[in-house]
Amino acid sequence: MLKNIFKWAGLFVLAFVLQTTLVPSISIFQFRPDLLMLVLFALALKAGVIPAVYIGFFLGLAQDLYSPSILGQNALSKTIAGFFAGLFNEKLVRIDPIFKAVLLLLMFLLNDSVYLIVQMVKTGGSMQGIGMELITATLPRALYSLLLGMIPILWENYSQATVRR
Amino acid sequence: MHWIFEFVVKNRSICSLVFTIVLSLWMISGSPEFQAKTARLLTVTIFYPLQVTFNNATHIKNIFSENRRLNQEVATLNTELSRLREMAAENERLRGLIGLSNEFTYSLIPVRVIARDPSAESKGIVVNAGRRDGVQMWMPLVGEKGIVGKVIQVMNGVSMVQLIKDPSNRTSIMSRRSRTVSILETENGNNFFFRCRSHEDVQVGDTIVTSGLGGIYPKGLDVGQVKRITDSQNPLFKRVWVELSVDFDHLEELFVMLLSPQWQSFRAEFDSLEFPK
Repeated sequence: MLKNIFKWAGLFVLAFVLQTTLVPSISIFQFRPDLLMLVLFALALKAGVIPAVYIGFFLGLAQDLYSPSILGQNALSKTIAGFFAGLFNEKLVRIDPIFKAVLLLLMFLLNDSVYLIVQMVKTGGSMQGIGMELITATLPRALYSLLLGMIPILWENYSQATVRR
Repeated sequence: MHWIFEFVVKNRSICSLVFTIVLSLWMISGSPEFQAKTARLLTVTIFYPLQVTFNNATHIKNIFSENRRLNQEVATLNTELSRLREMAAENERLRGLIGLSNEFTYSLIPVRVIARDPSAESKGIVVNAGRRDGVQMWMPLVGEKGIVGKVIQVMNGVSMVQLIKDPSNRTSIMSRRSRTVSILETENGNNFFFRCRSHEDVQVGDTIVTSGLGGIYPKGLDVGQVKRITDSQNPLFKRVWVELSVDFDHLEELFVMLLSPQWQSFRAEFDSLEFPK
């Protein structure tokens, strides 16, 4: 239990450090992968809804505190995204890599949708704007993150297949 | 009340979600002032301690690198300190030599020992002044505490010096108090003595200086002190042991006395003598 907590805490710290140091240098057309979302996604699949909800909440809250955004905006979006991914806990349902990829994309879209809706409500804006933002910003970011995220997913799948054989 | 608790435990996933969503919405719905206040409160109570812990953890890593850096700095400073101590000691010695040069009326050439006889007896040294500096054969060398030896070979930039501790060297000396004159001798380069008649007034502690006889060393330069007096095999003489004042193991800065041997002037005269065939 304690070992797991340290493992996930270490992963989040590593993701945070890489997100602020390495990731800006590998951005393509200003689109950056979101490593924190990837780790949250992995945690949700492995640990389930409750850890994903709370970790997502605190992760979002930390982002809110460290960036000039509406307080609670990231907390809410990450909470919902964590909850959504946590529903597909690997202990309860068996999912293949392609489904995981679709889930990850949906998680990104859900997260950004909630984020943008909150922003629209607080500062004003249109649903059309949200749609455009999802297509032009969220989707490329999600795809780039997915590209990185698929490496451990496929690796895990391959190693599990080898063990089964 | 019990049923609420039971409901929460049964639906803890949904309850967790609702709880966090409500919290988030409560924060979102607040005014900018409220948000700023809450953000400050959260930073101080939750995130600041975490940040401090994280900073301390990274600080521990820094401690190692800082320790390495400080160790390097200590090594560098120790080297510097040694160099400065060496300079201070040299300064002290040079001050002594300046005092010495003021005492003498002779012209002195300051020299530095650049090599020494590698044998255990260490009978000679090489100094960094030679013919071009005005050094000539037989010129005496003095240190802060007394005579050291004489130049026995002169080259252009360096000179070889025979120390008075060389067993083949003989130096004419005398007691400063009783004016007893004798020859300083040594058999092994460590123990020095002179012979004098039994009735001569020589006491332990007497200062021994050069006598000026022999023509190389001027009169009155410090040589050493009488350490003990023993009987000689010949009952008419006694053996007086002398402790030299110069420490020959630590010779560094010295002076060559620009002084030609007294017999130099007679030499031409002797050479010109024609003996009847």
